[in-house]
Amino acid sequence: MGLPISHLLLVTGLVLMLIGMWGVLVHRNILRIIIGFSLFGTGTHIVIVATGYVTGGTAPIIDAALPAGAAGARAVDPIPSALVVTAIVIGFSVTAVMLSYAIRLYAARKTLSIDAFTEQKW
Amino acid sequence: MVEGLLQPLNIFLLGLGGGFLIPLLHRLSKRLPATAFWVSLAGMTLVSGVCLWRLLGGADAFEIRTAGTAPPLAISLRLGLAEGFFAFCVNLAALLGAWQLWPRLRDSYTFLLLFLILVMGINGMIMTRDLFNLFVFLEIVSIGTYGLFGLGQTPAAVAGAFKYIMATVLASSFFLLGAALLYHVTGTLSIDEMVMRRDLIAGPVGLTALVLVLSCLIVELKPFPANGWGLDVYETAPAGVAALVSVGVSAGVFFALFKLMPLFAAHLTLIAFSAAVTFLLSNLVGLRQTNVQRMLGCSSIAQMALLVLALALLLRQGADDALALVVGGLFFSHLFAKAGLFWLAGAVRRERIRDWNVLAAGPSFLLVFCCLLVAIAGLPPFPGFWAKWELVLRLAREGGYAWIAVVLMGSLLEAAYLFRWFGRAIKAGRRDTGGPLSHGRLFPAAACVALLVMGGGVAASAAGITSLWVYTPLAAGGLLVAAEGLPGRAKCGLMLLAVAVLGVWMAQGTGGINGLFATLLLSGGLVIAAAGLYRRDARPGYYPLMAVLLLSIVALLRASTSLEFFFAWELVTLASFFMLALAPAARGVVLQYLLFSLASAFVLLVGLAVAASATGTTSLSSFLAAGPVAAPAFVLIALGCMVKIGVIGVHVWLPAAYARADDDFSAMLSAVVGKVAVFGLFMAAYLATRAEAGLELARIVGWIGMLTTVVAALLALQQADMKRMLAYSSLSQTGYIVTAVALISHLGWVTALYLVANHLMVKGILFLAAAAVIERTGLRRLEACGGLARRMPLTFSVAVIALVSMSGLPPLAGFGGKWLLLSAMMERGWYGPLALGILATLVGLLYMVRFGHAVFLGPLKPERGAVREAPAALLVPQFVLVAGILLLSFFTKLFMDPVSAAIDPQFASTLVWQGMSLELIYAYWNPARAMAGAVGLALVGAVVLWLSYRIGRRPSQSGGLARFFRYYRPLLAPVLASHAERFWDAVSVVFGAAAGAARRVYGGNGQTYAIQVLAYVLVLYFFVVAYPLLQSR
Amino acid sequence: MKRIRAAIVVLLFGAAFAGLAVGYSERTVPSALAMRYLQEVPAELGAANVVTGILITYRGFDTLGEVAVLFMVAASVGMLLSAGAGRRAVPAGASAPPARPPSELVVNGAEVVLPVAFLFGAYVIVNGHLSAGGGFQGGAVVASGVVLLVLARPSVALHHGFLSVTESLAGVFYVALGILGLIFAGGFLDSHILPRGEFGAFISAGAIPLISALLGIKVAAELSVIIDRFRS
Repeated sequence: MGLPISHLLLVTGLVLMLIGMWGVLVHRNILRIIIGFSLFGTGTHIVIVATGYVTGGTAPIIDAALPAGAAGARAVDPIPSALVVTAIVIGFSVTAVMLSYAIRLYAARKTLSIDAFTEQKW
Repeated sequence: MVEGLLQPLNIFLLGLGGGFLIPLLHRLSKRLPATAFWVSLAGMTLVSGVCLWRLLGGADAFEIRTAGTAPPLAISLRLGLAEGFFAFCVNLAALLGAWQLWPRLRDSYTFLLLFLILVMGINGMIMTRDLFNLFVFLEIVSIGTYGLFGLGQTPAAVAGAFKYIMATVLASSFFLLGAALLYHVTGTLSIDEMVMRRDLIAGPVGLTALVLVLSCLIVELKPFPANGWGLDVYETAPAGVAALVSVGVSAGVFFALFKLMPLFAAHLTLIAFSAAVTFLLSNLVGLRQTNVQRMLGCSSIAQMALLVLALALLLRQGADDALALVVGGLFFSHLFAKAGLFWLAGAVRRERIRDWNVLAAGPSFLLVFCCLLVAIAGLPPFPGFWAKWELVLRLAREGGYAWIAVVLMGSLLEAAYLFRWFGRAIKAGRRDTGGPLSHGRLFPAAACVALLVMGGGVAASAAGITSLWVYTPLAAGGLLVAAEGLPGRAKCGLMLLAVAVLGVWMAQGTGGINGLFATLLLSGGLVIAAAGLYRRDARPGYYPLMAVLLLSIVALLRASTSLEFFFAWELVTLASFFMLALAPAARGVVLQYLLFSLASAFVLLVGLAVAASATGTTSLSSFLAAGPVAAPAFVLIALGCMVKIGVIGVHVWLPAAYARADDDFSAMLSAVVGKVAVFGLFMAAYLATRAEAGLELARIVGWIGMLTTVVAALLALQQADMKRMLAYSSLSQTGYIVTAVALISHLGWVTALYLVANHLMVKGILFLAAAAVIERTGLRRLEACGGLARRMPLTFSVAVIALVSMSGLPPLAGFGGKWLLLSAMMERGWYGPLALGILATLVGLLYMVRFGHAVFLGPLKPERGAVREAPAALLVPQFVLVAGILLLSFFTKLFMDPVSAAIDPQFASTLVWQGMSLELIYAYWNPARAMAGAVGLALVGAVVLWLSYRIGRRPSQSGGLARFFRYYRPLLAPVLASHAERFWDAVSVVFGAAAGAARRVYGGNGQTYAIQVLAYVLVLYFFVVAYPLLQSR
Repeated sequence: MKRIRAAIVVLLFGAAFAGLAVGYSERTVPSALAMRYLQEVPAELGAANVVTGILITYRGFDTLGEVAVLFMVAASVGMLLSAGAGRRAVPAGASAPPARPPSELVVNGAEVVLPVAFLFGAYVIVNGHLSAGGGFQGGAVVASGVVLLVLARPSVALHHGFLSVTESLAGVFYVALGILGLIFAGGFLDSHILPRGEFGAFISAGAIPLISALLGIKVAAELSVIIDRFRS
């Protein structure tokens, strides 16, 4: 058995974060930058979910497949999952706000290049 | 029921419930949202206020469990004393801010709900005890801010908002990741439990998690250089929103950092270092800003950095007991002063600093503006002053001098740009581009001033001010402000009465040298202040400030602790600064005056702090027992006083200020205010007698004093402007006093006091005489006057008496003074300074002759035929001073006995003094020997100069004294080309250039800012994770 | 130049993340806190889905905050875009190419999928305490249905007033339920105000299903509003 599954997930999340970061830092187009942020956020969420994995665990829902007594032994950590729900909603919210600002910026300058918005400096 | 309503949880219910209700109410009626908004906001403020009140009354901290379950299972919140203080302050500021922003907010109910939930979010950041919940509140605050940025309509505002979003989204993503990873390593999200298990936070995962959380908080506080996005928003957002970001959001983030500090215990130095860099460089960058809000942004960032710096340093040295005063005071000061200034900027609506002259139009605006500036600069009586005092004291106790230097250097830079702004704001006469200013919009900023004053009182008692009399100057000033409607002379009379009564009452508590100075300066001050009666105009602000100035001087002399002393010292500085600023001519030089004064005060502050840490108390009388450890304190106090005296090298501010102040105020500055620093020098010398190391240094001070005397005399000779000449002459005479103090012998000190008295009266007379000449002729140039003796005989005669007394010619007081000094120098074997003294006497003779001759003698210019004698209001004070000179000259014993008695006990143990009375000394030292020698040499020199002039001048030219001086002035010019002025100009250029270079990092591109933020995180990562790891390998 | 700097930063972060990945070790047993949740959520709250139990009750304060975030975003997106639209001088019809009609696949697909999507969303919302799902998830499903709807019928106008009242009311009720918890149970947002019921039954787990439903309604309404704002 090679890498544990959570490791794989963790690395995926981290790589996604790096890709998002690259997008944020390099692309000129504001929409692409926002996509970068989205990727970055999604990567974070994947990392969080990955850290909640417990070897051999299943979803923390008590039903026929996972009786209450066995929950401790066979369930994954429910906390990161709970956190990530909140984090996803917040990530969505931030993306929505950024997109509306992108529209405002476009309305102001008729361009979406981030280099066009540098008059405030020094 | 009432009990239930006043629980802290209701802050959230009000914020959220109110927020959710607003759209519903909007459907019912257009007015209801506003009502709901104000009820909720006021309710939140009320609840936090009542809770804080109960906590102050000794109640236990409020612990709130959500879901009825204890942490770590459920989220819990806490409202302790610190939380209550921060929450209440923020809510109060939000309430005032909403008032200020109301015309914009009411445009859309969206803004109302955003504002409300944002404020609730800040409360949440302050109260929550759960790490992830902290993230949620951080996001509520961020989203609320992003939404409120929508109030800004310009493209620049939208662009600024977007850059802000980019940076803060990165930061909060890191927080999220860090929090989740911290849960992974510690198994809890409860902050309290996490702190207990902080040993588990180790290894690459734990430390990375820690650094991610830390860097989010630091980045949110906008560290240099990764803070361009913050500045852009401060510049472009509406002032009310910028204020909310500057004080509200930052307060929440700062409190989060404060709460998590135990986790970062191992990295306090790193945090302090980052904060120190930000504090220094943000203030440096502030120097070059031209936009008001951007400059306030620099100051805001710097102030938050100062808070973090103070927090980290105090925690590092385990001084938790000082946190309340230092952090609380700095926070309160920043919160209300900065918010107030942003709101004022919003009310004035002038973007550029240079357009701010509009303030000259409205006195109430100006008053509020000044108070807020003073509060931000950390000057009394506002909380920042007491907090900085305590901070410096604590740092000195642990030997943290580098940190002290950072704090004071940054404060000085901050004062530089803030008061430069003040200088622009009071420039009158330019075209006003906007409409009239409504006073209703001033209310929030004025409320800030009121709060700051109250906070100052609380902080003062926390800092150890127990006696109420220290506030007498301010109280008197405040009362006189209430009487501003009266005519000028009535106000002057009232002021004299108040100063006389209160001054005498306060001076009761003084004795020894302090008592002598108090008597001398109070009576001299009253006499010279009475000359103000010659002005008929209202002089708004002048008389209240005069009362503050004179009474602060008395308070300074009565001070029994170094804190009282420093408080009064700063009040003297401030009062004289603002009085100087009242003169339109002086507005170009006030900044220089303030900066040198502040620099002097800061050096003094460090000296006092060192002394306090050496003796373990702030009591001035304990300096007696200080011992050699206090030697650095002596050096620093002396240095501070010498800057304030204006010894050669740091004198550049003095002539400009003296020359350009109001004519009667110049007399006050030179005769009375300048003596305060001399008293400080006395104190330093006094300390030096206890710390043996000081004695060698005294010799250097003696040299400096005599050099000042000579160079200032030469410069005086060069001047064409009569007040400028008197200013240099004043400096020159003060140089004698410095040397006399530095002698640290009984004779030296008697001399010093004698010279102080003489100089006070002489310079009082001469500046008033100059005032009279300017009043009657409007002339200031020496060469333009002439022959006035016939028109103004009384002025002429008092001036002659003063000149004779100053020059040291027998039989007047100056002779005794100079003779005593020369003897004392002989006694100590200081032959070098002695020679300089003789040279100075010669040069002094020359410029005094020139002054008398140019103004009063020679031919009267025909157009001056109608000039009348000076007004009685100017003459009477001069006569009183002349009477003083005569008394001092012919009844020396009257003065010398108390002086000798006051000094005696201080030398009884340390220096050889045989208890001889003054007559004995006179008899013992042959007066003829020293003085006749000196005056004789000086006269010989004068004759030689005259002869060489007669020989050297071309035969075609006619003679005359005026030509004699014109012959020598160019001769002296190359020698005297002021290196000091060039040096200080260069210093200011260097700082300006450094500021220009530092702000190049703010390229304006959002992506660059994002790179900077990420790089900052990497640097922190390197120091927290990578470097220790590499080291351990 | 910027690219090089960006590359350096990303590489260094890559190194830091590599350290993270190497140092990370998978848990073999849940943390003590997780164990408590796994036991107490079914036992105390009566919810089979532990994650929902945590979200709605124990970390209900977070959830309320997150609802507030969504609420603020819905409001500010509307404000930002309407302010932006007011400043847009270009007439929409003149320069923009005429909108393409939606493809047949979308139109017909919507006919079939929409009812199912809405139904599924409702199911996910109300069964959050029993099986995978909950208010947010279900709300998101419903909102995706709305996306499909507006794609299929560009002319359809969502009733913003109705949605806004719905989201506000849901929010107000949520806070009110929290207050009821404060008064009748152990604390703010305590779900014990209603009987725990029989474990695994549809009506059980105290107030959790109720809150879940409110959340679902609120999230669905807010997401729809946000999406619709961008459309206009």
